Amino acid sequence: MIHLENPFRLTDTERKKILDLALSRGGEFAEIFAEYRLFSFINMEEEIIKETAESVSLGLGIRVISGEKTGYGYTNDLSIEKIKKTALTAAAITDSGKTLSIPPFHKTPGHRDLYPLSRPAHLASLQDKIELARRAYRACQRIDPKIQKVKVLFQDHVQYVSVVNSEGQIAEDTRPQVKLVCTAVAEKDRRREFGFSGGGGRVGLEYFERVLTPEKIGREAAEEALRLLEAVEAPAGEMPVVLAPGHAGVLVHEAVGHLVEADFNRKRTSIFWDKLGQKVGSPLLTIYDDPTRPSFRGSYSIDDEGTPPARTLLIDRGVVHSFLQDRLSARLMGRELTGHGRRQDYTCIPIPRMSNTYVDRGQDDPEEIIKSVTKGIYAERFEGGQVEDSGKFTFSISAGYLIEGGRLTAPIKQATLIGTNIDILQKIEMVGADLEFGLQTGTCSKEGQEVPVTDGCPTIKISGMTVGGRR
Amino acid sequence: MKEKGRDNSLLGLAERFVEFGKTCGADEVEISLVEGREFSVDVRLGQVENLVEAGSLHLSLRVIKDQKTAYVTSSDLAEETVRRLVRNAVVRAGLASRDEHSGLPPLASEDIDIPSLRLVDPEISRLDPSQKIRLALETERIALEDSRITNSHGASFISNEVTAVLANSHGFLGSYDQTFCSLSVGLQAGGTDDKVEDHWASVKRHFRDLETPESVAKKAVERTVRQLHPRKIRTQAVPVIFEPGMTNWLLGFLFACVSGVAVYQKATFLAERLGTRIGGGNITVVDDGLMPGRLGSRPFDSEGLPCRKTTVVENGVLRHFLCNSYAGRKLSLPSTGNADGTGVSPNNFFLLPGTATPQEIIASTEKGLLLTRTIGHGLNPVTGDLSRGAFGLWVEGGQVAYPVSEVTIAGNLEQILNQIEAVGNDLDFRAPVCGPTIKVGELTVAGE
Repeated sequence: MIHLENPFRLTDTERKKILDLALSRGGEFAEIFAEYRLFSFINMEEEIIKETAESVSLGLGIRVISGEKTGYGYTNDLSIEKIKKTALTAAAITDSGKTLSIPPFHKTPGHRDLYPLSRPAHLASLQDKIELARRAYRACQRIDPKIQKVKVLFQDHVQYVSVVNSEGQIAEDTRPQVKLVCTAVAEKDRRREFGFSGGGGRVGLEYFERVLTPEKIGREAAEEALRLLEAVEAPAGEMPVVLAPGHAGVLVHEAVGHLVEADFNRKRTSIFWDKLGQKVGSPLLTIYDDPTRPSFRGSYSIDDEGTPPARTLLIDRGVVHSFLQDRLSARLMGRELTGHGRRQDYTCIPIPRMSNTYVDRGQDDPEEIIKSVTKGIYAERFEGGQVEDSGKFTFSISAGYLIEGGRLTAPIKQATLIGTNIDILQKIEMVGADLEFGLQTGTCSKEGQEVPVTDGCPTIKISGMTVGGRR
Repeated sequence: MKEKGRDNSLLGLAERFVEFGKTCGADEVEISLVEGREFSVDVRLGQVENLVEAGSLHLSLRVIKDQKTAYVTSSDLAEETVRRLVRNAVVRAGLASRDEHSGLPPLASEDIDIPSLRLVDPEISRLDPSQKIRLALETERIALEDSRITNSHGASFISNEVTAVLANSHGFLGSYDQTFCSLSVGLQAGGTDDKVEDHWASVKRHFRDLETPESVAKKAVERTVRQLHPRKIRTQAVPVIFEPGMTNWLLGFLFACVSGVAVYQKATFLAERLGTRIGGGNITVVDDGLMPGRLGSRPFDSEGLPCRKTTVVENGVLRHFLCNSYAGRKLSLPSTGNADGTGVSPNNFFLLPGTATPQEIIASTEKGLLLTRTIGHGLNPVTGDLSRGAFGLWVEGGQVAYPVSEVTIAGNLEQILNQIEAVGNDLDFRAPVCGPTIKVGELTVAGE
């Protein structure tokens, strides 16, 4: 565990008083979410430490639920008068009349040992963090004179959250987060290309010695940019696509993960709403979301509603097994909580979100998967994707290769893949035994709220997908 | 710091923190305070779903010592916290590198008449919550009356009232208020396995300018149902007509490529192209922060420099990059009043309209794609390449024939700007970055 001084000095009596005010007009549930976050940032470019930044985020949000309705207020003025006023703002959602009384408070323990770190970043000196940035920068720059521009960002934060609700539950979490990323621009014959790499997670600075060194991050960014200088235009049209292990997890995140978030199914806007227990994809496909992977960027010991999370089976051998739940959807759908109610910060209402989402390993030899393709593409790096509830999704390849005659040949430039999820899930023909996770740098955006996530997958072959290249 | 009779207005607070920064040893200090009041209601299927009301106050601060810079942001405005952050910032600045281009801009002599910009609608603060809820309910109700609509993502009314204050150690002290309101609805049509969806939103500074519930609902319905029963098409290169919303998206990409920050970072393919032709003679793109009542207008930027009008592309020739004072010094170019935090952002950034109506542009197209929506990422400012998932309507013989889905479009921004065959007359300023309907000579549309 790491420690951060709790700046919220509310006594139990005050907490009870605030929750009573929140429920003074009725409602089944009220909650106080308090957040204190310390953030630091370093930017190195053009050979210099260009700037550093320090941020403090401190505030609380009060929520009242009545049926399907949510009232929400937040404030960063923590005077007791202002907090009470915020409670009354949230209370205005209903006028059904007070019925609830609040039981004595009890503490809900979270998952233990999810953040096993030895050198917490928020206690480390700025000089130590600057040195990490410099190491990545130098490693990137010295690979090749064609590397014309390097930029390194180091960010860390520690976020203390506490949740107190009208069921008497009190839960707390103090979450570390670190990220070191490097971008490189390579130039040759007036052509410029861009490379990216990075790492981090809910770790301390020891990560950059033991798991992923700044040198490796810098080198990978440079190598990607250099390789893209030689890349050819991607082909256009429908063809087999092999997803590389790790980064291609973003496809699963977009094509499946969002559509099993409970809110979209409760509202019947997701195409999966009536498909629980039904087969929607290849029997080779099993997908989990797991907020309890130690040190992972998307992990947490309680979610932002105070629920200890559990690894959740989403797709079981092609069959929709369960949805990612938050309190509101679980209650309205009559389902168990899964611990996936997350929020960007205290200004936001929690909604069902992914954490660390991955396709379980299969049986196939990754080399055999590539050999099985006569003409297609190998999708290796991605810059993101998007899905809509109708199941249509895209994701953008930032680096990959042509597959010709069962071999990887020329590197390809940026291209977009598009598909409809059920169609693609049924076209999964082979799943490798080589599960990997992508970079520990990802962020997922939903309804304007950004939360840290990771995703992973083994090598996967999709028999046909529309590739949006230019030739 | 004065303890007696101190000025607790935002302006007074900002000035005090500037003074305190200098006391701590900073050469230059810049403080920005933003106070906001937010109201939002989401309704769905005739019921209120979420109701949010809140007020907040945020501080951002920049200190420079020996040409070394440090930044701070905080939502904890306790005097003791801010003092600690300022003291830390001066120490942290010492650990950054000396940068001859750093520093606050000199005090400008011009003064913008803030009321003439019409950034505030006092009516917004007087609106009753029940009236806002009614507008959202009414919008969704009208949309759901259409039997082709099968589900709703809900309708929302949002209003914001914001006060921005900026003070710096060169003596700049300024503040302005602004308001926003929006009404939107998202819809689905079709059955579970052939769903289509879209939405419409009206965003304005002035409540009386907001589209009516009827108008928002009808546009959302029309945009949604026109996608029903899409067909797939073969991969081919055809003319592509961009609806205004799609031109907005393309212009957002152009902005990223003409940002002075991207230019000095060599992160844009236009970095060495100032003064050269990057598009057809029918392309003129302007950034103008001083248009009365427009969404992207403001009297001064985040460094206190007055906003202005800058012609970015003139008849196809790249004329100006958009710079904050740092990028301007790096590139020996003028600062254009586009500073936003540590970077730059557009004010009103738009493509000048032409004379053709959208109907005439469609009628002039023998075969092509009318692009209505894109999803995904796939924009690369370093190369100008773009590639996105696309939705649209197939045009044949000058008429809309049927919807298409699961296609992607791919191309290059410079090539696109050089082959715009028609520019529409339908510029509507519904977003800070905007343009009219345009027709691009040829793009690769990948399908089956």
